[in-house]
Amino acid sequence: MISGTASVDELAAGAPEIAAFGTESVRLCGVTGLSLVAELRRPAREAVLPPGLHPIVPPAMSLLAWDVSESPWGAFSAAFVRVVCRSGARARTFCVGAAASTHDAVAGLRSQFGFPTRQAEISLRRHYDEVDLRVSAEDDDGGSHGGGEGGSAGSNGRSNRLMLALSALDPDPLSVGDLQHVGSMNLAHTPLGLRLVQVETHHEPSRVERLAARIDAFDAAAWGQPLLDPYWVVSCSVSLEDIEIPASRFVCDPALPAAEGTERVQ
Amino acid sequence: MKFGIFYELSVPRPFSRANEWLTYHNALEQCRVADELGFDHVWAVEHHFLEEYSHCPAPEVFLTAVAAQTRRIRVGHGAVVCVPEMNNPIRVAERAAALDIISNGRLELGTARSSTWTELGGFCADPDDTKKTWDEFCRVIPQMWTDDDFGWEGARFEMPARNVIPKPFQEPHPPMWVTVTTPGTELDAAERGLGCLGVSAAPFAEQERRTKEYYRRVANCDPVGSFVNDQVHTLNFLYCHEDYRQAAALGLPMVGAFSMSNAHLYFTREAYPTRAYQTLGNAGAALRSRGTPNGSAPADDPSAAKGLPEGVGIGDPDHLVRTIRKWEDVGVTGINFLLNAMEMIPQEQVLDSLRLFATEVIPQFRTPDERAARVQAPTTVPDVGASGTPVPSTMPAGAGR
Repeated sequence: MISGTASVDELAAGAPEIAAFGTESVRLCGVTGLSLVAELRRPAREAVLPPGLHPIVPPAMSLLAWDVSESPWGAFSAAFVRVVCRSGARARTFCVGAAASTHDAVAGLRSQFGFPTRQAEISLRRHYDEVDLRVSAEDDDGGSHGGGEGGSAGSNGRSNRLMLALSALDPDPLSVGDLQHVGSMNLAHTPLGLRLVQVETHHEPSRVERLAARIDAFDAAAWGQPLLDPYWVVSCSVSLEDIEIPASRFVCDPALPAAEGTERVQ
Repeated sequence: MKFGIFYELSVPRPFSRANEWLTYHNALEQCRVADELGFDHVWAVEHHFLEEYSHCPAPEVFLTAVAAQTRRIRVGHGAVVCVPEMNNPIRVAERAAALDIISNGRLELGTARSSTWTELGGFCADPDDTKKTWDEFCRVIPQMWTDDDFGWEGARFEMPARNVIPKPFQEPHPPMWVTVTTPGTELDAAERGLGCLGVSAAPFAEQERRTKEYYRRVANCDPVGSFVNDQVHTLNFLYCHEDYRQAAALGLPMVGAFSMSNAHLYFTREAYPTRAYQTLGNAGAALRSRGTPNGSAPADDPSAAKGLPEGVGIGDPDHLVRTIRKWEDVGVTGINFLLNAMEMIPQEQVLDSLRLFATEVIPQFRTPDERAARVQAPTTVPDVGASGTPVPSTMPAGAGR
């Protein structure tokens, strides 16, 4: 069994803070969701995960995007880059980076659930037979980054950094039960110390379609993990759904296997 | 009750040429010993790219060596992945027939469709199609074995008429099976008259429910082959020791390690939304839940008093006899045992476990006639008569049911 080899101290540097574990779930209504899985090149396999998590073979990345109509944080869009892994024997993902379109959503995702979220412009658009997603953020360190074409000047004159662009074609209807969702493990500073916070979203889809997708641009460094190289798209789906994010019940020590390092928080 | 041994050929990390060599050659030695001890079957899986869990992508090669080094034990080629990107059905029929000849008519052929993205994705196979291609393979292979002029125009496979040769040694052909990982596949097996080769060990109550429905359906099936194979085999672990505490101390970590390595596979349903994979097909989930004492047996189970998990083949001979009786009671006709995982149990102790099981447990499930037949059974070699036509002297037990 292989385990992650990333330095917990280095991962902790940008981790969000959860001052107190919440007890209430957050309900997101009228969500257009996009889910994409892509294989990663082998050097990323162990190096992007903390020792408490286990990579899969082949290494893979799960990309999620939501366009939310209603929520306690108002309408917003968000995107999450996650590495597929196992916590003990359970299927999980490790969230390496996230973005949200509003201040309230950024604050809520960080402080309640530990998603390492930054503010960004996110466009998730559904056309008749195509879906496209574009994520860009104000450049926070001067601008000369990769990630393909697409940097642009923002309204304040600073350059915008294109973090992600993808397009997906030819939606093919599936049953709503055909799409499997896997929970996130989010590294955060918590009242128990630095922990992986287990976040399991509940989905109530009314429509699910599978598409053929292409990643046009992906700036791994902008998502916080330069080693990620999603070179082989496995699948892409879009859905219409309501999502509930329950309050987290378990956390894990990022340096220990789940069997030894799991704690219940409520 | 039939007893088999089952190989994934899991290899310990760090990987090395030596570790892979050792795993293969330990397994071959176990097969030779199992043959001498009176085990009925040896099965080998087909898996690709499943690091640590299974380094067995060419079971027909492994099983040819088994056939050449053994006399009585039946060789289970199981299961062949019935996905055209991995195997052409003509090649499956040809290889299987050749192996049946080499083994003097000891072949059993299992069929499967793969449950991991690691494998399907590696071969660029479409997960939507695997159930359909499996169904087509099951129908064409027995016809290739029995027809001298076989052609096919199907949905996903076609060929102009040819005589697919050689024909298998067994008449009319070797028994065929389906590996059953996800609930419901046993019904697919029943409807086609195929044996149910369980690779996910369900608890007794669940196995009884599935087995009952399998037998109900197989009694009225439309067989894809020339005969109905209505056997139900299940997968288990084996570590037998006079002291059940020692059996548990060595055997249960092996159960846990194997199950954990299974859970770390990348299952198709997780990677690729599709109607064709409604469950993960995760054999480890059921096995794992039974591989720990705290996931343990109900009070009426023979395992409960010894703190062992329900139905698992880890324990002393008396315990294993009682456990296997329960499997027999729920309609299981055979149990195939994993003997090791990642070489965690030293080879000598694996062999001691096999010998103890064969001495103390297997005879409890044999009639006096069966015991005598086993001792006296000749090697199955065809007599070549005056006409030059080979005639099998003795068909092996279970052949051509």
